[in-house]
Amino acid sequence: MTVALIGFALVLALVLMRMPIVFAMGLVGTIGYAYERGGSILDERGLKAAMSMVGRQITDTAQDYGLSVIPLFILMGLFVNKGGLARELYAVSHVFLGHMRGGLAMATVAACGGFSAICGSSLATAATMSKVAMPEMRRYGYADRLSTASIAAGGTLGILIPPSVILVIYGLLTETSIGKLFIAGIVPGALGILFYLLAVRWVVFRDPAAGPAAARTPWPQRLRALRSIWAVLLLFVLVIGGLYGVFDVPPLNLTFSPTEAAGMGATGAFLIALARGGLTLKSTFEVLKESAVTATSLFAVLIGAQIFSNFVNMAGLPEALLGLVTAFDVAPLTVMLMILLVYVILGCVFESLSMLLLTVPIFFPLVVSLGYDPVWFGIVVVVVTEISLITPPVGLNVFVLRGVLSDVSTGTIFRGVTPFWIADLFRLALIVAIPALVLFLPGQMGP
Amino acid sequence: METLIRVAKVASRAPVALACLALFVLMGMTFADVIGRSAFDAPIEAATELTRILMAVMVFSCLPVISARGGHIAVDLFDGFFDRWHLNRLREAAIHIACGVMLAWPAQRVWVLAGRARDYGDVTEYLSIPVFYVTAFIAVSVAVTAAVMVAVGLVHLVAPYLLDEDIAA
Amino acid sequence: ADYTLVISSWAPPTHSINARMWPTFTEMVEEATDGRVTTELKLGLAPPPAQMDLVMDGAADLSIIFHGYQAGRFVTTKMIELPGYVGSSEAASVAYWRAYDAYLKDANEHRGVKVVALHTHGGAQLMSAEQVTELSQAEGMKVRIPGGVAADVGQALGMIGIKVPATKVYETLASKAADGVVMPIDSRVGFKLTEVAQNMYMLPGGLYRGSFAFIMNEDAFADLPEDIQQVLEDEVFGEPISRAIGAIWEAGDAEAIEATLATPGNAIIDASPEDVARFDEVATGVRAKVIEEVAATGVDAQAAYEMIKAEMAAFE
Ligand code: NA
Ligand code: NA
Repeated sequence: MTVALIGFALVLALVLMRMPIVFAMGLVGTIGYAYERGGSILDERGLKAAMSMVGRQITDTAQDYGLSVIPLFILMGLFVNKGGLARELYAVSHVFLGHMRGGLAMATVAACGGFSAICGSSLATAATMSKVAMPEMRRYGYADRLSTASIAAGGTLGILIPPSVILVIYGLLTETSIGKLFIAGIVPGALGILFYLLAVRWVVFRDPAAGPAAARTPWPQRLRALRSIWAVLLLFVLVIGGLYGVFDVPPLNLTFSPTEAAGMGATGAFLIALARGGLTLKSTFEVLKESAVTATSLFAVLIGAQIFSNFVNMAGLPEALLGLVTAFDVAPLTVMLMILLVYVILGCVFESLSMLLLTVPIFFPLVVSLGYDPVWFGIVVVVVTEISLITPPVGLNVFVLRGVLSDVSTGTIFRGVTPFWIADLFRLALIVAIPALVLFLPGQMGP
Repeated sequence: METLIRVAKVASRAPVALACLALFVLMGMTFADVIGRSAFDAPIEAATELTRILMAVMVFSCLPVISARGGHIAVDLFDGFFDRWHLNRLREAAIHIACGVMLAWPAQRVWVLAGRARDYGDVTEYLSIPVFYVTAFIAVSVAVTAAVMVAVGLVHLVAPYLLDEDIAA
Repeated sequence: ADYTLVISSWAPPTHSINARMWPTFTEMVEEATDGRVTTELKLGLAPPPAQMDLVMDGAADLSIIFHGYQAGRFVTTKMIELPGYVGSSEAASVAYWRAYDAYLKDANEHRGVKVVALHTHGGAQLMSAEQVTELSQAEGMKVRIPGGVAADVGQALGMIGIKVPATKVYETLASKAADGVVMPIDSRVGFKLTEVAQNMYMLPGGLYRGSFAFIMNEDAFADLPEDIQQVLEDEVFGEPISRAIGAIWEAGDAEAIEATLATPGNAIIDASPEDVARFDEVATGVRAKVIEEVAATGVDAQAAYEMIKAEMAAFE
């Protein structure tokens, strides 16, 4: 256990020196594995064993069939962008909610939720919506702290509402069904939208001037706007329907597995963008390039995490942690609350992916041996990593907004985000208290 | 030196284009497989193994390029601190060189694994494509990544002005 | 214990490989060595095709490999995969070890590692949501079937092969991307096929068998004192452990059959005598092709086939 903890501390130190995560975890994992197999970090047989393990991780992770969803879901999100779907989503939310006080911020949250259903990344969701929603809210005189916070917070939904790159990675690290994880994210994601809407209401209740009402849109116009989101609905139904296998009806007879849903969604988004004239040869190339580059950096950190995780496994840390918990006779819920506290603290400085990669190899075996459901824990982990995205001092979603809007200070955004952050804690408490909120839907799916 | 970097930039276009092609084919093949199977009872039997190979091609075409551009996921929490002490250049150089050097061992090992796959005659299940080709491609990519990272580290050290105009934009 | 051997295993924690086979192996090793040697099981270090490299280079001391995951590397192991061997997995595993010892090991396909056991699961059967009552129905069916011998059999029966990893079988059947699956019977429980492939069409000896080996790092074995090496060779390695593991596969099949009969909406359809005869014709063609392929490696494939067949018939 000591060896594993030293390793963890070393990774932390290297990561904070800004060494790329893949190299920090890979280096420590390799040396640690060599130590475990050879009894010393310089033992020749130990090093050969470790290098062989590393070599196979490098070649096998990139060729994992199940991971093909990562580049394809990223691709889908980017094509969706080119197709102008984000703008339409916002327009619809606007005509339905805009006339209320704080309505445009509520529309932003709703549109973020909708966009999350076709985009696997929180950063992409926040970046996209900031371009679409921010000008509108400014036009109606919304306070910057409310408008930016609604985008930063709403954007975090990207990794909980399926599809989700983070859930895919959790599924790989823990051998949990990705289809089930996706379905499990739907209810907590909807709760997230609801709680964020309440947070907006709270802000305008305290300070009505922060979110003045816009003009009411007559119903015929609302219905017309509704018609324009068919493309978003189509893609969402295509992906989620694929998970449940609902297209096997004549005359469609279309059948595909969850793994294939990513390719279908990406192709669908590509065809929609193409049909709407949103794509040229050059912009198609740009989209492909961005997806490939993003996916490659994700695969790289995955390889590093697997190497480190193998070292932790070989060092017997999971067994040691469990032994500790058993020896002190701590209740499972207490352990869970301690783990969540660790996550919230780590969330101050780490962004979602690094946090997941660093902690899951250590906590997951313990949590499962305490009797918690792997799917439920996956959702809990994603909810706490969502929180990390808007927790100061390092909140990536806040930085994304800061990058897009150079005239708003980081402090303003963080202050505005506070009510949303509290809403997140309520949601976390709710799904910890009532696991059925997470587990009911995947329970309908089989093993 | 400037010429060298310009050459590197141009050279990096080919692997990126290859990665884009692999990804596009991956997308199209999944679609064709699903439609072929659903509508015509004619799935692409080798789709799974081709998916694996296309992913490897995509990832390991991009790897040297993103490594050169500082595209790896990292935590930049203390950047301000390093800036204040004017240590960023040194830190960047040290980390690039260290990462590049440490990659030499896995590169060698993957090459050994590739040779093993050839000696044992490993092939893919349907198309009997030698596994050796894919593994060797990965080994070469890791080796190039190692070299590129050391080179970028050295540039940070001796000629950082070259990096000001974004080395691989 | 004086020596702890680290086992790497890729199967899920609850799979009988980890829940029963490795514990049985460990018991036998501990008993034979009076507790001087024990094991430690590590899961999820690497995917199945990586295991042989891991053991060869000492990243783990022992592992289980499924030969079908490494096409090209293993050819002689196809001998046990052939359709038409009727009998229990225990009988098949013992016969497999003896045939390996007599003929197959000459091909030296496991070079670089020590072969500790060879075993096979029970004959794989066709399972589907729609009931199959006649062999001719297999024609045109979209079926998830592995490569190698299994793929040859599927092709000979006119099946359309759907290729997905074993872990994706449930979702593939649930989403109707495949009509059926050919898998060992015991996976009906592990992969919850009772929910998505309620019907099982039984052919004696199945459509194929799967070939597994337990392998060990050569240095790890050499590091053990000579008396321990000797007792392991005599009492555990080879036929004794192969037999014990074969019996576990057989027990898993029996439990899965029980579970199938106990699950409402599930049914087992035995092939008619005419269909059994027709399948045997198909099997003959596949056997001829594979025996020729194995013979090309220089081993006496025909003799190995006769031996497995005879050993299994004589097994009591
Ligand atoms: Na999403
Ligand atoms: Na944070």
